Amino acid sequence: MSRLTKMALMASVLACSVAGAAADTIKIGINQPLTGSVAASGNFITDGAKLAAEAINEKGGVLGKQLELVIEDNKSNPSEAAAAAEKLISRDEVSAMMGAWGSSFTLAVMPKLQEYGIPMVVETASSSKVTSAGNPWVFRIAPTSEMEAKAFGQLVPEFAMKKVDFLVVNNDWGLGAAGEFGKMLKEQGVEVGMTETMDPAAQDVSAQLAKIKASDADTLFVTTGYEQLSLVFKQLKALDVNRRVITTGGSQFPDRLAEQLGSAADNSYHILFFAPWFPDAAANPEVAHGYIDQWNQKGYDKSGLSDGFRGYDAITAIAAAVEAAGSADPEAIRDALWKVDVKGVNGNIKFQKVGVEGSESGQSSPNVYVVEIKDGKLALP
Amino acid sequence: MDQLLQHLLNALILGSTYALLGIGLTFIFGIMRVVNFAHGEFYTFGAYMVYLFSVTLGVNFLLAIVIAIVLGILLGAVVEWLLLSKHRGADIDTTMLIMIGAWIIMQNAEQLLWSGVAKSIPMPFPEDPLTVGSVSVAWARLFVFVMATLLIIGAQMLIQRTRLGKAMRATFQDTATASLMGININMIYLATFALGSGLAAAAGALLGPIFIVIPTMGNLAVIKAFAIVILGGLGNMKGAALGGFVLALVEEFGAGYVSSGYRDAMGFLLIILVLMVKPTGLFARTERIG
Amino acid sequence: MSNISKWVIVLLLATVPLWVTNQYQLHILIMMGIFTIGAMSLNLLLGYTGQLSLGHVAFFGIGAYTTSLVSLGFDLKLTEDYTFVFAPKPAWFGVICAIVVAGLCGWFVGKLSFRVRGAYFVIVTISFAEVIRLVALNWVDLTEGPMALNNIPSLAFTIPWADSAALSRRIANYYLVLAVAVISSIIIQRLVQSRIGRTMVALRENEALAKSVGVDVTRSLVLAAVVSAAIAGAAGALYAHYVRIVDPDVFLFIYTVTMVIMVIAGGKGTLAGPLVGGVIFGILPELMRGHMLPEVQWIAYGAIMILIVFFLPEGIVPAVQRWWAGFQRSRQSKMNPHSRANKASPREAAQ
Repeated sequence: MSRLTKMALMASVLACSVAGAAADTIKIGINQPLTGSVAASGNFITDGAKLAAEAINEKGGVLGKQLELVIEDNKSNPSEAAAAAEKLISRDEVSAMMGAWGSSFTLAVMPKLQEYGIPMVVETASSSKVTSAGNPWVFRIAPTSEMEAKAFGQLVPEFAMKKVDFLVVNNDWGLGAAGEFGKMLKEQGVEVGMTETMDPAAQDVSAQLAKIKASDADTLFVTTGYEQLSLVFKQLKALDVNRRVITTGGSQFPDRLAEQLGSAADNSYHILFFAPWFPDAAANPEVAHGYIDQWNQKGYDKSGLSDGFRGYDAITAIAAAVEAAGSADPEAIRDALWKVDVKGVNGNIKFQKVGVEGSESGQSSPNVYVVEIKDGKLALP
Repeated sequence: MDQLLQHLLNALILGSTYALLGIGLTFIFGIMRVVNFAHGEFYTFGAYMVYLFSVTLGVNFLLAIVIAIVLGILLGAVVEWLLLSKHRGADIDTTMLIMIGAWIIMQNAEQLLWSGVAKSIPMPFPEDPLTVGSVSVAWARLFVFVMATLLIIGAQMLIQRTRLGKAMRATFQDTATASLMGININMIYLATFALGSGLAAAAGALLGPIFIVIPTMGNLAVIKAFAIVILGGLGNMKGAALGGFVLALVEEFGAGYVSSGYRDAMGFLLIILVLMVKPTGLFARTERIG
Repeated sequence: MSNISKWVIVLLLATVPLWVTNQYQLHILIMMGIFTIGAMSLNLLLGYTGQLSLGHVAFFGIGAYTTSLVSLGFDLKLTEDYTFVFAPKPAWFGVICAIVVAGLCGWFVGKLSFRVRGAYFVIVTISFAEVIRLVALNWVDLTEGPMALNNIPSLAFTIPWADSAALSRRIANYYLVLAVAVISSIIIQRLVQSRIGRTMVALRENEALAKSVGVDVTRSLVLAAVVSAAIAGAAGALYAHYVRIVDPDVFLFIYTVTMVIMVIAGGKGTLAGPLVGGVIFGILPELMRGHMLPEVQWIAYGAIMILIVFFLPEGIVPAVQRWWAGFQRSRQSKMNPHSRANKASPREAAQ
């Protein structure tokens, strides 16, 4: 997102809040990484959330009130995510939140939800810890690493892998993915080699790649955000490591990788939760088309479509819950989230009870797609 | 063995840019006695200028690098004139605090102008790497290595062979006498800071396209530059060049054979060790530049 | 400032939770208090001994991590078949450990780094903080690395008149921070006014001279470093139990810079300086919020820092004191033209 649109956004949020004071809005907090190591994705998700709010507001809002998004930057850092939640809850008094991108950030926010009794729809985080902690204020629309691994498992025989290595970002997300995919692959009889980690902000991973180059695995699984992923591909090419690369996590922007990296990204597969290049393959094609049209109308960066939908779906789910609750009371919204059954861009959003009995968290069952980069173009494998 | 060679090669290339960064910093410290905390921001500035000219404005990539270096020199001169020229002879803490202020201002200005989302700069080099035996190197990295080496040699020549360099060396040895000999000390300081900043901008302009460009990229760069300078001995140019390579070697081998997570810690441990054992730096004779 | 007026201020501060009931405003005050304590401890090194320690956040972070680990418990796999299990201990015990561990680290760093001076000293202290940050980031078994230590228990006691648990916790934390701030300033004041404190100042003014009259330089410096680190550790412990999450970014250089700005702006080497600086820079961001983007705020900080070095090199407190002393003198000289002889220099007045 350009600085200009960001300023326009802030101006519009400001305008909204001024108007909101009079019109009595329903405030929803957005806790996303707008700067730092995974900022690209966080900005797109925020854009998607704004589109959903706009679409809902144009149709008259919820309960006759307009939705107002209050946006806080969590700077791609867990403590900042907790601080942002603190601000959204105690200063802005939001009714519900969407956040906080990464698993580490989300886990950092969760005690605040319990302390103040505010529900949060989790749009990206994939660690199993999020929904197994016994926090009844958490509702996740993103798949867990386990669900992702399981969905991908059906494709494993086609790839005929013998041995795989992992290169993952050194946090709940990366380590969780390496663990779950490793487990799934072992069950399928694939040998699991080394797991190399990288700091979320690391730029030079050639030392790790030199190690991986020396391994005899045929496939490399990589889990990280787009920024680091593009570096991994560049450096893989630079070190002449030729093997199949499979990326997980859903924030890879494969179209941008294909465009910017050329042949460096060839022969790679990307596990995604929405493939905007093939909207008809989506579970709800009409919702997908609507979202894509709205995105393009705004002139947003097309490569953000595959991430922006998370924000779109999260706000759609929250709005549905507010509607069902009949009030903006956080606890009523929490109870109503259990009744939500709406069509999202990814698929139908409906929460099942998971985790600690008596204080279950919500988890929907999103769809998983795999996209291949072949000769610089995207294809469904 | 193959892995060893690959690590060595990686270290050599990285070391050349580290050296560039370190020379600029040690140069400023040696002559002006200023610990330049904004050094990493000149590095970031160089990278963003390449982004601005080559990606946003569509200027030729090589030309964009040259423009970035020239603008880095100019910005350095402006900063020196604006912030440091009034503080000649002030103690080291005063100028250090001013430069910390400059660092904060520059970094946030970059964030304001280009947002916190990382940018990447395409390079016009063949994608397939140069492979010799089992060792590979990207053409882009080779280009960085050659450019950095040329710049290091250029800076060295400037100090050793030109009138300006001679005046700088004289100022370094004895400011008062140099001033009596008719050397315009203010001009020397301005040139020194501009040149040091230009070298940092050059390092950023070269490394930015290899990695990604982000407003906070200077934070680690400045601390690494300090490490390099300490290794070589404050104010020692050849020491800084060597220090750059030593740091890159230690990091690369640390990451390759000890733990990739502690990659960046290696440098700092090295500094603490060096300072405990030989506080004047690994390669220090007595302090001098050139 | 007389002792009575100091206690009046403390009493006034103690009444704050009675009339500030907005949770968010209390939150701002607590965070401001914690960083002010950090700034006070930095001032001991920066202001009184004249050593520009730029790794100060390391002690703050060590305090935060120590108390978190002690109160959460941890297990460490030392060998294949032996795992060291540390059971969770009460939070107050964690705070004591934090103070002790931070103090020990201060002693260690002091011993190492006071062998060098000037730019070298600065760089050793920065390097130390950076190494600690990288250890916290990578020793995942102990620190959870980038995933952060979460759900740190609260240090709070129940406040009877608060009408919600959240508010009670905030008020309790406010009083804790106030208490630690008062105790710290008493310790710093005592230390500075003691013989050792005078040695430190002698050192700052002229190290060679101090040495020649037999001052044990390293000993006084190390003592200052230990006390300073222990107080910073206490501030870090309060921080950890208040925000209840700690990650390696707590060691970032920018936090040291925040404390340095507070000390320099307020007036280094004065007792009131860090307090004034802490209040200004703790509240300023909130006042500016909504009027300018966060980046613009930071740019303003940087500019303020430079302007202070340019125009108020001693900081706000000494400048105000001088102005006040001048004002008093001119008033006195009007009444009694012969009293000029007993004017006090601002620095003495400040101490």
